Order: sequence, then structure tokens, then C-alpha cells
Amino acid sequence: MHGALEDDRTGAGRVTTSFDHLAPGSELPPLARVVTREDVAAYAEAGGDHNPLHRDDDVARAAGFPGIIAHGMFTMGHMAAGVVSWAGEEATIERLSAQFRAPVFMGDEIVAGGRVRSVDPATRTAVVETWVTLQRDGKTEWPIRKGEAVVRFA
Amino acid sequence: MNPAAEGTTYPDVAFTVDPARVAAFRDLFGQRSGVPPTFVTAAEFAVLPAIVDDPALDLDFSRVVHGSQDYTFERPLREGETLTIRARLASIRVRGGNGFLTIEIEMLDAQGLPVCTARSRMTERAPDA
Repeated sequence: MHGALEDDRTGAGRVTTSFDHLAPGSELPPLARVVTREDVAAYAEAGGDHNPLHRDDDVARAAGFPGIIAHGMFTMGHMAAGVVSWAGEEATIERLSAQFRAPVFMGDEIVAGGRVRSVDPATRTAVVETWVTLQRDGKTEWPIRKGEAVVRFA
Repeated sequence: MNPAAEGTTYPDVAFTVDPARVAAFRDLFGQRSGVPPTFVTAAEFAVLPAIVDDPALDLDFSRVVHGSQDYTFERPLREGETLTIRARLASIRVRGGNGFLTIEIEMLDAQGLPVCTARSRMTERAPDA
């Protein structure tokens, strides 16, 4: 599913998707990565979100979590990576949305996915339903549910 | 959270799309070129302190969770450009002790043209919830 240059850490593949072969129902290749403390610390620095829920286990436990949780925007960044690596970096993201539903703990494997809802040949634009799931205690959790991307292909 | 703060606008903040931070985002999300779309969150955080510290809004940020996020792009961000960040409290609802806040942030380029509009929905959970 992924190209030969797949990145072991971020999961980002190098798929070249041809707009002309897209149809409603076309699936995006799932993009998986394991979330680490190092990733979350690097994200806090780059994104400027220094909320202690993402840095301090004691604060996170006081809020009812087993330890620090990933930023919602880290998970949305991964969702976007799934879209970008599918559409190609020359494509333009016109809209991106996500509803956050479940926390992501350190060591969780998050999987970004998506499915084409509609295509508009006149503008070379695709509307894509997106999501991010993970498996915990035998159940599927939805860190992102009802995400959407509008992508204009090059 | 005080519902009377609905409609508040905050002073414009300048935000430069710093190439080093963009490179860190690319590295984190495996992108080789360009500005990853969710980098705009860094621009939102340029204005967030004014909202979090606004005594009229009276937000307890330690109880805030991010409910949803929506970005509409007129064009991709460009490395090195400086954007004007303008924030408004678009909606505030309080229900059952929980507060629901929608922040709308406009990002304009040096010509004053829109680049991105961001909508963040935040929930301030009731104490002891």
C-alpha cells in the first residue's frame, strides 16, 4: 500500500494517487504510527502547545488519565499526513476538520484512514471522509471521528 | 466561562511562519516539502494567551479539552511570511456546568488577503466532572 520510501517513524508513505482514477468509495491507504513521548515533546515545541497534560504525568493522572496524552492536534497532524501522503505533496488542502473523541496514550498505535465521498472533475477536487482509530483492550477507539478533507489535486 | 464574553475580539497578533518550526513539523509528520496543513495551529497559539488570560471570559484552561477543529484554506502558508492573526469568540454556551466555546481565528497575509480561517471548539468541563 505504501511506497518504497515509507518512513518507519511517521508511517508516511509515498503513494502517487491519480485523480482520474478516483471515485466515491475509494479508500486511502491506512497510515499507522506508534505515539511516543519524544514525538509529543517535539510536537509541543513545534506547535507551541505547552499544556502540562501533554508533559507531566502527575497532572494527567489528576485529570483521570493513566499518564500524559497526545495533543489532539498531534493526532490531527497524523490524519493530515495520511491525506497528504495519499494525494501527493503537490496537492492543495482546501479544508480540514476533525472531531476529537478519545484520548491517545503513549505507546498507542494510531491509524489514520479515509474514504472519498465525492469528486469534482471540473475543479480536480475530492471530498474525503477521514478518521483516526486505535485498538485498546480489544476495542476500537476513535481519537478522531467525522474528520473531513477537501483536496485539490495538482 | 462567562457567556457575556461572546463576540469579544482580540488585538491583532503578528505571526511569522518560521522555517525552523515548519521543518520540525515536516519531520514529525513525514512531509518532504511545503508547510504541513496543521502547522496553522502554531499561529492559533500566538493569540491563545490573550483568550486564556482574559478576565472577562474567565476560562479555567486546566479543565479545557479540545472538542473539534476546522480549517479552511484560501491558499497554503508560505515559509517566512508574516500573518496577521485575529481572534473572536464566536459562540459561548454553558450547559450543565460545562462551557462550550467556539473561537474563530482569521489569518491574513501582508496584503490583507485571507489565508486561513480556523474554528476551534473547546469544552470547559465542569469541576469534579
